[in-house]
Amino acid sequence: MGTYNINVRWHDCFNYILDRRFKMETTKNTSTKGFQGDYMSYIVKWGTITNLLGCLFAFLPAIVVTFIYGYKPPISAVFAGFIMQASVSGVFWFVEPISYFPVLGVPGTYMSFLSGNIGNLRLPASVAAQEAAGVTPGTDEGTIIATMGVAISIIVNIVMLTIGVILGASVLSRLPAGVIAALNNILPALFGAMFGQQFIANPKIGVVAAILAGGMIGLNKLGMLAFLPGNPAYAIIIVAVFGSILIGKQMFKDKV
Amino acid sequence: MEYLKVANSPLMWLACGLCVALVLFQSLLFVRKSLSVSKEMNISDNQIKSALKSSFTASIGPSLAILAGMVSLLVAMGGPISWFRLSFIGSVAYELMAAGFGAEATGVTLGGPDMNATAFAAGVWVMTLGSIGWVLFTALATPKLDQFRNVLAGGRKALLPIVSAGAMCGAFAYLSLDRVFRFDIQTIAAVVGFGVMAAFMIYNKTKKKQWIKEWALTISMFVGMIVSIIF
Repeated sequence: MGTYNINVRWHDCFNYILDRRFKMETTKNTSTKGFQGDYMSYIVKWGTITNLLGCLFAFLPAIVVTFIYGYKPPISAVFAGFIMQASVSGVFWFVEPISYFPVLGVPGTYMSFLSGNIGNLRLPASVAAQEAAGVTPGTDEGTIIATMGVAISIIVNIVMLTIGVILGASVLSRLPAGVIAALNNILPALFGAMFGQQFIANPKIGVVAAILAGGMIGLNKLGMLAFLPGNPAYAIIIVAVFGSILIGKQMFKDKV
Repeated sequence: MEYLKVANSPLMWLACGLCVALVLFQSLLFVRKSLSVSKEMNISDNQIKSALKSSFTASIGPSLAILAGMVSLLVAMGGPISWFRLSFIGSVAYELMAAGFGAEATGVTLGGPDMNATAFAAGVWVMTLGSIGWVLFTALATPKLDQFRNVLAGGRKALLPIVSAGAMCGAFAYLSLDRVFRFDIQTIAAVVGFGVMAAFMIYNKTKKKQWIKEWALTISMFVGMIVSIIF
């Protein structure tokens, strides 16, 4: 009887070890072949290369203007202009990638910041793609689908800009003022709709976000954020995004 | 406006075209790789088709808005620079501001009657220098952002969607309420956009209609815009 039991235990133990080995190997396999392994290392490698190339390519038009056509702006003027611009956007070089990363994922972040127009185009396109495909943002599937959404938005944007530039300023500036006003109202309607979608999908976090963002915008209107350097919009984004993440986490950490 | 000949020269088109080509090249690489890994994951062809359809329609409205902003940039900076800057790194608001700062620093108003070659060149340099930060930071720090996101989730994969939901709610609460608190025509556009989308979402919680998932954002965006201009 005793021997039998011991045999059973040995058998179980052996199976258990085999099982563990097998599981470890399969997780190892998926981690070298699948999303977290081969895929991610490819994206990070090419994302780093293409975005660094982007830093170099970005200077080509300026180099052509100055060193081929000989338009030499005073260095002091370029520097002054850069300082003015950096005092407005400098914080956003860091705040935007950090804030939008949880939605865009690794590939979407490389693509979105190389192509620009993020809040007004890349984010809505990636969220629309995730919603239609029924995947959850923040998951591996969400990242893949966001990549498709960002890519489509890049193609649509470039095609429309190309048509626009071919039509030229003369045609575009002849558009009736009403049409231009209407086009300018697409953006606020889009932002409202995006928040409506997020609000209904996650009502509790939505309420927190509305209170934080609304409160910070109110404080800013009352001039109470004036102690911050530059335009305090970055402080509103930081509080709204990270406040919602941290409070949301507290609300849901025992439920998932 | 002699400088506009240079601004619209074939060489400028070539320099700008290379940048736009780089953006398309990166997208091609990433989409190809994503499609191949999606086959090993739980993603069906139908899901990918809906994602492409939906992001296509959702991109049209915002791209039209970018086109509207392109007009003032085109007049001052010429075709190639406007075309390249709006498909590469920046956004309409940023580009106009940067070009303006560059021109101002040379003592000229952007697109004004005294706009000249020096102001144009300063504008191009400031637009470029002011936007490098975004690409450089993401080129170097994106893997770190992934780690940071895991820290935010307390190392629990199950909490990652909560982190994403918090980031999206926070970002769009800011972007939309910023328009609402202007108390003008944009307020109406934002509130109507919110209302129509919320109605779609509530209706679809039980009905689960695929066309609503794909079209709701585009419809809400245009209804919000149309209602705002009727008022």
